[in-house]
Amino acid sequence: MDFSIAALLAQDGITNGAVYALLALSLVLVFAVTRVIWVPSGEFVAFSTLTLAGLQLGKASGIAGLLVAMAVVAGLLEVLSAFRQREWKRLPLRLAAWTGAPLAIAGVLKWAAPLAPPFVVQILLTLVAVTALGPLSYRIVYQPIAEASVLVLLIVSVALHFAMLGLGLWYFGAEGSRTPPFTSATFDWGGVLVSGQSLLVVATSVALIFVLALFFNRTLYGRALRATAVNRVGARLAGISPAFAGMLTFTLAALVCAFCGVLIGPITTVYYDSGFLVSLKGFVGAIIGGLSSYPLAAAGSLLVGLLESFSSFWASAFKEVIVFTLIIPVLLWRSLTSQHHDDDE
Amino acid sequence: MRLTWSAAAVVVFLALVAGAPMFAPPFWVTLGNYIGLYSIAALGLVLLTGVAGQTSFGQAAFVGLGAYASAWLTTSYGSSPWVALAAGLAFTALVALALGFITLRMRGHYLPLATIAWGISLYFLFGNLEFLGGHTGMTGIPAIAIGGLELKSERSIWYLIWGTTLASLWATNNLLDSRPGRAIRSLRGGYEMAEAFGVDGARLKIVVFIYAALLAAVSGWLYVHLQRFVNPTPFSIIAGIEYLFMAVVGGAGSVWGAVVGAALITVLKQVLQDVLPQLLGRTGNFEMVVFGVLLIVLLQRARDGVWPWIERLLPKAPPAPVRDAAPLAPRDRGAASGPLLEVNAARKTFGGLVAVNDLSFRIEAGEIVGLIGPNGAGKSTTFALISGALALTSGDIRFRGASIGSRPPHEIARRGIGRTFQHVKLIPAMSVLDNVALGAYLRGRAGVGRAALRLDRQEEASTRAEAARQIARCGLDAHTFDAAGSLALGQQRIVEIARALASDPTLLLLDEPAAGLRYLEKRSLATLLRTLKGEGMTILLVEHDMDFVMGLADRLVVMDFGEKLAEGLPAEIQRNPAVREAYLGGV
Amino acid sequence: MAPRKLATALAATFTLTVAPVALADINVGVTLSATGPAASLGIPEKNTIELLPTTIAGQKINWIVLDDASDTTKAVQNAKKLISEDKVDVLVGSTTTPNSLAMIDAAVESETPMISMAAGAKIVDPANPKTRWIFKTPQSDALMADAIAVNMKASGVKTVGYIGFADAYGEGWLAELKRSAQTAGIKVVAEEKYNRADTSVTGQVLKLVAAKPDAILIGASGTPGATPQKELAARGYKGKIYQTHGVANPDFLRVVGADGNGTLLPVGPMLVWEQLPDSNPIKKVAAGYITAYEKKFGPRSTFGGHAYDATMLVAAAIPEALKKAQPGTKAFRAALRDALEKADVVATHGVFVMTPHDHNGLDNRARVMVKIENGKWVLLK
Repeated sequence: MDFSIAALLAQDGITNGAVYALLALSLVLVFAVTRVIWVPSGEFVAFSTLTLAGLQLGKASGIAGLLVAMAVVAGLLEVLSAFRQREWKRLPLRLAAWTGAPLAIAGVLKWAAPLAPPFVVQILLTLVAVTALGPLSYRIVYQPIAEASVLVLLIVSVALHFAMLGLGLWYFGAEGSRTPPFTSATFDWGGVLVSGQSLLVVATSVALIFVLALFFNRTLYGRALRATAVNRVGARLAGISPAFAGMLTFTLAALVCAFCGVLIGPITTVYYDSGFLVSLKGFVGAIIGGLSSYPLAAAGSLLVGLLESFSSFWASAFKEVIVFTLIIPVLLWRSLTSQHHDDDE
Repeated sequence: MRLTWSAAAVVVFLALVAGAPMFAPPFWVTLGNYIGLYSIAALGLVLLTGVAGQTSFGQAAFVGLGAYASAWLTTSYGSSPWVALAAGLAFTALVALALGFITLRMRGHYLPLATIAWGISLYFLFGNLEFLGGHTGMTGIPAIAIGGLELKSERSIWYLIWGTTLASLWATNNLLDSRPGRAIRSLRGGYEMAEAFGVDGARLKIVVFIYAALLAAVSGWLYVHLQRFVNPTPFSIIAGIEYLFMAVVGGAGSVWGAVVGAALITVLKQVLQDVLPQLLGRTGNFEMVVFGVLLIVLLQRARDGVWPWIERLLPKAPPAPVRDAAPLAPRDRGAASGPLLEVNAARKTFGGLVAVNDLSFRIEAGEIVGLIGPNGAGKSTTFALISGALALTSGDIRFRGASIGSRPPHEIARRGIGRTFQHVKLIPAMSVLDNVALGAYLRGRAGVGRAALRLDRQEEASTRAEAARQIARCGLDAHTFDAAGSLALGQQRIVEIARALASDPTLLLLDEPAAGLRYLEKRSLATLLRTLKGEGMTILLVEHDMDFVMGLADRLVVMDFGEKLAEGLPAEIQRNPAVREAYLGGV
Repeated sequence: MAPRKLATALAATFTLTVAPVALADINVGVTLSATGPAASLGIPEKNTIELLPTTIAGQKINWIVLDDASDTTKAVQNAKKLISEDKVDVLVGSTTTPNSLAMIDAAVESETPMISMAAGAKIVDPANPKTRWIFKTPQSDALMADAIAVNMKASGVKTVGYIGFADAYGEGWLAELKRSAQTAGIKVVAEEKYNRADTSVTGQVLKLVAAKPDAILIGASGTPGATPQKELAARGYKGKIYQTHGVANPDFLRVVGADGNGTLLPVGPMLVWEQLPDSNPIKKVAAGYITAYEKKFGPRSTFGGHAYDATMLVAAAIPEALKKAQPGTKAFRAALRDALEKADVVATHGVFVMTPHDHNGLDNRARVMVKIENGKWVLLK
């Protein structure tokens, strides 16, 4: 292995690591606030790429159909809970948010898709549509069992993952898609060729992480989420409803995943079932961060990306074996050096 | 023996199992065989994840180990499947021991991820080893033969599969209702508590892990000789998740949850495959979508899985009565010299903060000593140093002449120190009797093997009798069979004392026993402690409540800011101006 | 127009000559991988079954289709269900080699003939007595690999690098490439593996390129085959690139885009039936099937052709078997097996001439080399 190969491998590892870091970030966020290990995050990434690729071909029926279905279910749940609590006053507003808004997004998608809007508009449409799935899935799937144990929440996540995987196959088919590159520029940095696309991925990830940090530190909602993550009961006493915190969290996390999907579309082929492995690697990063530290999660994700890239060069047949075996000592070290309070939760 | 309803249910179940191959349609038998296989693997997870609280995604990898070991030995070396089973189990145990040794040290979320990591590694290893047939797989695996009878047909292997399943259920159920079983049940959440009664939690976790892995390997062995083909796909991480799925959906708290979960998932998938195309036409693959949605709805309705639902429908069996039995042998105390407990310049620092500053005091046999002080004085830290929950920074603690400073809690318990907890640590779902019996852990010797095979009954009867005796001694005999979680806080604290007494301690450490108790509860607690003293027990009482201690303790040690402020008889302490200053402050 | 074309096409294949006699229905059990990793192969197969007629030789025929989710356990369960519950007379499936291998015991023990739609030569290995009951329609990897080796040798390739799936498909191709390259005097200088859904194959491709092979074979199926090819283009690899017939679908062309230009691959002739000479008997059969398929499901896939060929074999064997026994009986299944072993059928992928020693029955007529040019498959003459 010479320097140029090592540099290319490093570039590849960092690019993938940046994507994993975004996923790790959303996983940490979701877990810290809601204790949900968000297995279907990968499906959000895949749905995002495939929706964008679909828009390129003038199609949007898959994601629009899903939005309509979820909007209807969420609306029914709202009516049901209004009926149970005999509290009708707020129902119209809630219906507008849970049913009206997603239906409107679906409508816009259906209308805009065949018009072949500019690429930027297609990206925006994708981001909005996939992000909307986040709070909807929280409302329908997780909110009714928000207080269940981590294990049950995890298993529910897996069930949601199965359902979304099946829908993905139905909507997008078994074959993969790519989206057009944002840039085809390459830069020569001291004999090392760096692709503009990779730079863009890394830069966007860093920017997104920075924006999220600002959000958590500077805004009221961000602080509310942090408070909930630290102490759920306390946050509740301070007037932050867990349902609201959960919804906000899933919106943010879905947005991050949607960004991921848009970013990886041009650098790799994405399939309906690509998400699981990508999110698994993000999960590895998140765990290295103890499911609580954002910087460590990002560092862990970079480590995974680099390990993967170099091991696929050294012994591609044993790539996964190498990556996941080398993770174990890291986990052991993290486990022994970090503080634990209780064994379950 | 009286024929109870639950015994009748078991009989009906057994009859179904025995009769099914003769009456059921052949494909039901096929499905039943798979349900049996999956039940065995899921049963391992019920024990490991549901009961012991260690989430594992790696069960499928162990199923694969058992399957591949037998496939390789029978095809490459022509060995008998039975020999291959023994070899496979031995190999699986070794791998599980090594993996468990590394990964079970991890707590919290690191463990599940580590199981994912080696689950994936093993899967790709199976696929990349040429002598195991690579990703394509191995064919020509022989059927299992029993005395010349080849179990080739679905019907004939049914009895082997379900015989094994029932035996595993029986053994696991036995295990849960035994000395090691109580300890396993206490691992989840009550790790610190289990250690305080002499359970070596780290070792026990590995034992449970190996037990679960062996069940998985047996399942894999049956699978490979039923299928007579093996390739890596059935042992992927997705399969590992599915086993967990079965355990949780079925009800991970009970061994029957494994069977219910395996049956539910297998049958549900089959029904969906049969019914959906007729309902929706042939236009898509909706099985997975409907499967996912149904399970979400199911778990929203039944968080603890399906078994608790079924259990509610079955009539409840009365608890097994406590029978008279030979008393447990008293603990071997060995020779002792000097005072019972001697704290010698004990020091504990956290970073720059000195929590306990060269504290020294001693306790003589038969005394009640109160360790008191205002909030943040270092009482709890001192307590943790004596009980082994924290390691000393410097200094020493000697118990009956031997140093116990910085020793792990289970070793300290072994020397004869019993304790209670400031925040009550009982297993809420377990009966008071079982909770107290856990205290006698160190007085028994039955291990996992003996317990699973029910060879521990004599010792178990003695343990139960001893537990019942301690419950009666503390005046809670009316609640012997109640779930510990259903008792009032004051009663729960007394259960904790009974549990500590069941360990036959020389010294009883009580951590704020009066906290949160009402007046009458405090009075009955004080009466109990006096009675115990009268029977010769030595007690160290860490307490915040001055009035409670004053009337009870023979001597008091007062701490403030990590140091000993005063020591003496209650009356002296009451008059001590420094103590008044510390307690009353500027008031 | 189109429905009539379909009718003629099917009439040509399923000769409706025998007068209908009141017999039990014929049940054909199909298990295929319509979901899971092999879904892109299984879905066109499933679509193809929907095109089939419900009577053959005047006999009502039920196609019972089950999905095995690319999982061997499920494939065996499906086979057992089809055999014991639906009492099928013949099994078709499954899509992948491991699934088919796993089903063999179930088929053999119930004495049910089985026609696999997977490539692995091991499925019909004549050395294994069990394969008496097993047939398969896709060209064996060996046949296709030989075509590649011949083409490589002719164009002066001395060294070849390989990158393929880390699964049964990639493994099978690597073995065949090694064998046929040795025969042709070509050296395999690098072998790499990747997973279908890998986001990056930079490491593998760098290592391949570093070995400087004259040509590279990519052993993959469907759109994932484009991942290494695009990476090779990005790393400036200038040698020849070969793919396998697994990528022969329009989605691959869509995803690989301009980077696919010049790629060579062996395929069944059906893919380029328009370019076949009229004298080729396969042309008419392929035209009939593909026109009907594309009318209903969109662009063609060669995997659908494997399913169609399997059903053509069944259709050809049924009249023979009906002469001997009643459907639903053991004798009928045995007669079907015997008839399959004597089948001589012109199908979409080639001409099947079955013998007791060859349960695949395809020869060089079942493969053509094509080149990708500007998003089109071009037949090499």
